[in-house]
Amino acid sequence: MSSPTLPPEDTDPVGSEPPSDELLAGEFVLGVLDPTQHRNLRGRMDSDRVFTNQVAAWERRFAPWLSDIEPVEAPAQVWTRICQRMGWNDREPAERSLWRSLRFWRGVAVLSAIVAVVAIWTSLLRAPRPPAVAGQPPAQPSGPPPGQAEAGVKTVTPLEHDDGTPGWLASVDRSRGTVLVLPVPAPADPQGRVPELWLIPPGKAPRSLGLVSTNQSHTVTVPADVRGALVAGSVLAVTLEPPAGVPHAVPTGPIIAKGAIRS
Amino acid sequence: MFEAHTRSRYGEGTPLEILLAQVALGNREAFDCLYRGTANKLFGICLRVLAERSEAEDTLQDVFTTVWRKAAQFDATRASATTWLAMIARNKAIDRLRSMPARQARAALELALDVEDPTASPPQQAQTASDRARLERCLELLEPRRRSLVRAAFFDGSTYEELATRVQAPLGSIKSWIRRSLLQLRQCLDP
Repeated sequence: MSSPTLPPEDTDPVGSEPPSDELLAGEFVLGVLDPTQHRNLRGRMDSDRVFTNQVAAWERRFAPWLSDIEPVEAPAQVWTRICQRMGWNDREPAERSLWRSLRFWRGVAVLSAIVAVVAIWTSLLRAPRPPAVAGQPPAQPSGPPPGQAEAGVKTVTPLEHDDGTPGWLASVDRSRGTVLVLPVPAPADPQGRVPELWLIPPGKAPRSLGLVSTNQSHTVTVPADVRGALVAGSVLAVTLEPPAGVPHAVPTGPIIAKGAIRS
Repeated sequence: MFEAHTRSRYGEGTPLEILLAQVALGNREAFDCLYRGTANKLFGICLRVLAERSEAEDTLQDVFTTVWRKAAQFDATRASATTWLAMIARNKAIDRLRSMPARQARAALELALDVEDPTASPPQQAQTASDRARLERCLELLEPRRRSLVRAAFFDGSTYEELATRVQAPLGSIKSWIRRSLLQLRQCLDP
C-alpha cells in the first residue's frame, strides 16, 4: 500500500504540540494513546473532576455509534458464569432488601480533601463562642471549656458523593441525640425530589431522620429508640425521595451521599 | 436503546438509572433485571469489536462483574445509564482485543474506502435517531480518509502507532489527522 498523500495542513504543528486537556480526553476516549499514557489518564479520572467531565462529554459524542449496534442474544451460560464468579448460588433468591447488604458502605476511602474540609470545620466548632446577649440565655448549654475540646462527644462525619466530594458534614452529638447537618450548597434536584437523611446501624434496616437542607445548616433530632446507633460503624446516608410522606419507612431513591460515623 | 423487560418488582420500563442505583447498594434483584434488559445489546457491542464469539462472551461476563463493582461510580449528571453501560462494554472489548496475540496481524487499513458499518441497526428511539443523525452529519464534514481513521480507532482500539503502521503514514500525520478530526467533530456537535 502506498503512502497516502498528505493534505497541506498536515504540516502544521497540531500533531506535535502537547494537546489541550480537552483534546487529550478525546484521544483517551478514542483509545489512540499508548498504553502507559492511557493508564495514567485513567488514574487521573479518580481525582480530576474537570477531566472526568471532559471524558464523559466525548463519550456522549461517540455514543450514537454504539447505540446503533444491533443486539445479539447473549448465551445463557454467561449469566450462569457471572453468578459463579460472584460466588452466588443461582437457585438462591435475589436479595429482597436493598439495604441488607452493607458491602457498599464499607471501606469508603476518605480523601485528603475531605479531611482538610473537616479539619477546617472542626476548628471552627472549637473556636470560642461569642458571649451570650444579656437577658437572652444561650440556647444550648455551653460547650467544653477551651483546651478540653478534645474530650468532647462530637464526631464529624463527611457524607460524600460518589466522586469523593463532600455533600454534607454531619456532627453527631451522642449525649443530646442530635446531628448537626452542614450542607455544601448544591442545586435542587431537577425532578423535585428532596434529600432525606438515614441512619443505618450495622446489619440493620435504615431509619429516616427526616429531611436535610441543601443550603443551610440545621440540627436533626434523632428518635430516642435509635440514639444508641449513633456510634462508630453506623452509616449516615442521604437519598433523594418524593417530598410527600417524609419521614419514609424505607428509602426508594438513589443515594447521593454517605459516610460512616467514626469513633 | 435498551428494553427493560422484567418479571421482577421493578416492572417493565424501570429506568436503568434506578436499577444502577440499586445495584450500587448490592441489590441482586436489580442486577438481574439490569442484565436481562441490557445483556443482548452489550453482547452486540462486544461482538462488534471482537469478532470471535467466545471472546465476546468472556468480555460480557467481565462487563457485568465490572458493573456490579462500579455501579456506585455511575453519575447520572455526566452520562445516561445507556451510554455508561455501552462505553464499559466497548472499553472492556477493546482491552481484550489488545491482550490478544492475533492483534499484531491487524489488517492494513484502506483509508480511501469508507465502508458503512455492517452491524448498524436502524435507530429505535427519536433521541437516538437525532443524536445519530447529528454525529453522521458532523462526520460527513470530515475528509473521508480521516473519517475512516476515527472509526477504526474507536472500534479497533488501534493506537496512534498502530494506525501509522496500518495506513503506512508518518506518526505525526496520523496524530494531526485525528486531532483535527476530534476538534472538528466537537465544534460541529457542541457549537
